[in-house]
Amino acid sequence: MKKSIIVVVVWLFSIHLGNSQTGTDFAFNRYSVTVKRNLNESNTFNLYRGQISVEETENANAILGEVITNDTILRFIPLVPLGLHQDYTVIYNNHITHFSLDLPKSYELQTITDIYPSSKKLPSNVLKWYIKFANPINETNVYNHIRILNQDGDTLSRTFLNIENALVNTDGRLLTLWIEPGRQKRGLIPNQQLGSVFQPGKSYKLIVLKTLKDKQGVSMSNDFIHSFQITEDDRKKPDINLWEIVSPETSTNDLIMHSNEPLDYGSVLGSIIILDADNKEVFGNWKFTNNEKTLIFKPTDIWSKGKYRIFFNTRIEDLAGNNLKQLFDNKIDDKDQLVHKNTEYILEFNIH
Amino acid sequence: MKTLVTLALSLTLSFCINANEKNSSLKANFEIGNPEITSINVMTFGPENILFIGDSKSAQIIAIDVSKDPKTDNSKVKIDLLDKLIADMLGAGTDEVQITDMAVNPENNNIYISVHHSSGNAVLFRVENNTLKKVSLETISHSKLSLTDPVAIDAKDKRGRELRKWAVAEMKYNSGKIFLSGLSNKEFASTFRAIDFPFNNKQNQTSLEIYHAAHGQYETHAPIKTFIPTTVKGSKAIIAGYTCTPLVVFPMDKIKPGTHNKGRTIAELGNGNTPVDIIEVKNEDKRYLLIANTNRPLMKLDFTDLESYNEELTTPVTKKGASAGVAYVNLPYVNVQQLDTLKDIGFLMIQRESSGNLALKVGSNWWFK
Repeated sequence: MKKSIIVVVVWLFSIHLGNSQTGTDFAFNRYSVTVKRNLNESNTFNLYRGQISVEETENANAILGEVITNDTILRFIPLVPLGLHQDYTVIYNNHITHFSLDLPKSYELQTITDIYPSSKKLPSNVLKWYIKFANPINETNVYNHIRILNQDGDTLSRTFLNIENALVNTDGRLLTLWIEPGRQKRGLIPNQQLGSVFQPGKSYKLIVLKTLKDKQGVSMSNDFIHSFQITEDDRKKPDINLWEIVSPETSTNDLIMHSNEPLDYGSVLGSIIILDADNKEVFGNWKFTNNEKTLIFKPTDIWSKGKYRIFFNTRIEDLAGNNLKQLFDNKIDDKDQLVHKNTEYILEFNIH
Repeated sequence: MKTLVTLALSLTLSFCINANEKNSSLKANFEIGNPEITSINVMTFGPENILFIGDSKSAQIIAIDVSKDPKTDNSKVKIDLLDKLIADMLGAGTDEVQITDMAVNPENNNIYISVHHSSGNAVLFRVENNTLKKVSLETISHSKLSLTDPVAIDAKDKRGRELRKWAVAEMKYNSGKIFLSGLSNKEFASTFRAIDFPFNNKQNQTSLEIYHAAHGQYETHAPIKTFIPTTVKGSKAIIAGYTCTPLVVFPMDKIKPGTHNKGRTIAELGNGNTPVDIIEVKNEDKRYLLIANTNRPLMKLDFTDLESYNEELTTPVTKKGASAGVAYVNLPYVNVQQLDTLKDIGFLMIQRESSGNLALKVGSNWWFK
């Protein structure tokens, strides 16, 4: 495109999400840009990120997308949705146009709704966190937005696994954060030379920076700060025989289980099933309370009288990655492992 | 006349290609269509222009045939500001795009780069003339396999899959098998699988229990970060790097499902570091391992040293930051984020240079002479 023949016509548009500009010549939203065709001109269409000049477009990379035309309009469909809070430049034939996509006033900025473990006191070998967001997150480079600070306010290095492919659940709202296992595992060089990530008696802060964006590319309004204190390490397997079961007193009551220690949110939920006396599964919903020490089961149907058995998956973990069957870092000569290898983990209760 | 000759030549070539494709037992069950890829976490090439894609979000592996992509000369490829180029092409900021993997087709040195965008879209690019071309995945010859949940093997775990996801960390093809390692979001457990290819209905998805022992004292059911199937002293083996530093060798014939698989630690590469990629490069008869790292330069290990190292590291390295075991040489490339072999040329890398420039560039096989 030669600069000399360009007649620069600039429209400045700013619109709200979902309400595309619907003028006679130009319309746009996150998913398409539409221009009225001038049949006397060629159909050269390019879209660029940023508000740039004609000269600058010569060295800029155009946005990838598909161009669809009919007798009256040309529609550009970008390969991925355009971002909110970003400027764009359209060059259509001899015209240059700038527009931006503003946030609608009703837009709900990303927030963190829950964090597990929720307890403010954690063992020094705590292994992971689950961070629950209100809306699906931008998963790209997500771990770059998370920090752990010590009580002096210094950011600690090498605290968690910065894995390329973020561990996010299907709905895009639950992020798993692994504390650097090499430092939590006894005997390994990072553990021996750098020590475990957290020291007993000290206080820390887990910070999710507001730069972490949602799936629409919009940042949070504030940093999320979660303070906690560190206690001694936990080198014991969770023992279901120490858990207290509160049997439902009536056919409509919930089943309640009290663990003697906080449990790992991710590995517990969905890893317990209840069978009735006829070996049929009892369906319902589990939820955690009391800093993940209490589990409450609300059955879908009413309880019948009789005996029930609760089956626990062996992979249920405590906060330090110790599961029902083995410790996170197991002593190799531990004969105890052999004893428990084929053990089933079952508790019983009765409805009278 | 010229048109007729061209047409005849095209038909002949077309027949040859079709005949070849038909004769390929590996592509016999490939279908043309949309494999519905929702994420591209890892990629690796098999034989016959087959690109394997690990899609964690849809829990599937897709084999796609890229033989129709034109060959491009990448012997001197160099793209500066690669992250900005990708971001510009997607109309996004550099913090809204992430390069998830890079793979080089050993048949023709074509380069493929996978990218995730903040919206959740995955895009596959091919390098052409020092820029990027989008590879269409909507109508493509492919075959795919759903990955079953390894935890479901536990008879009592009939439910509990709604929260469980696992990110594929590495995937490699070797002699009719695809090997995968991954990390779960729920349990600290190794997910290492061997899957037969071509995919079939009676899929063998062997899940292997991989442990890591630290100096003979403690062991964990540890996830493997990166690995390479290769041969050590003439026998098939897997050389693996954990999320922490040790480099471990597993003889292939000894890794069996249902057993407690523990490799032989042959090197400690210095703490505060995680291996990112391992590749094998050859120069004439000499073989080398190249290892890219998070906090160490690119390392070169000579297979001669590796194969002559018969010991196992069982005592901790006491000197801080020091390494032990098989000797290696640091090459002058730091912050190498992606690494693959560039046949007859050397190796290809995506490197964050000290200036901040993210560059796609060639490493010469001069380093192996």
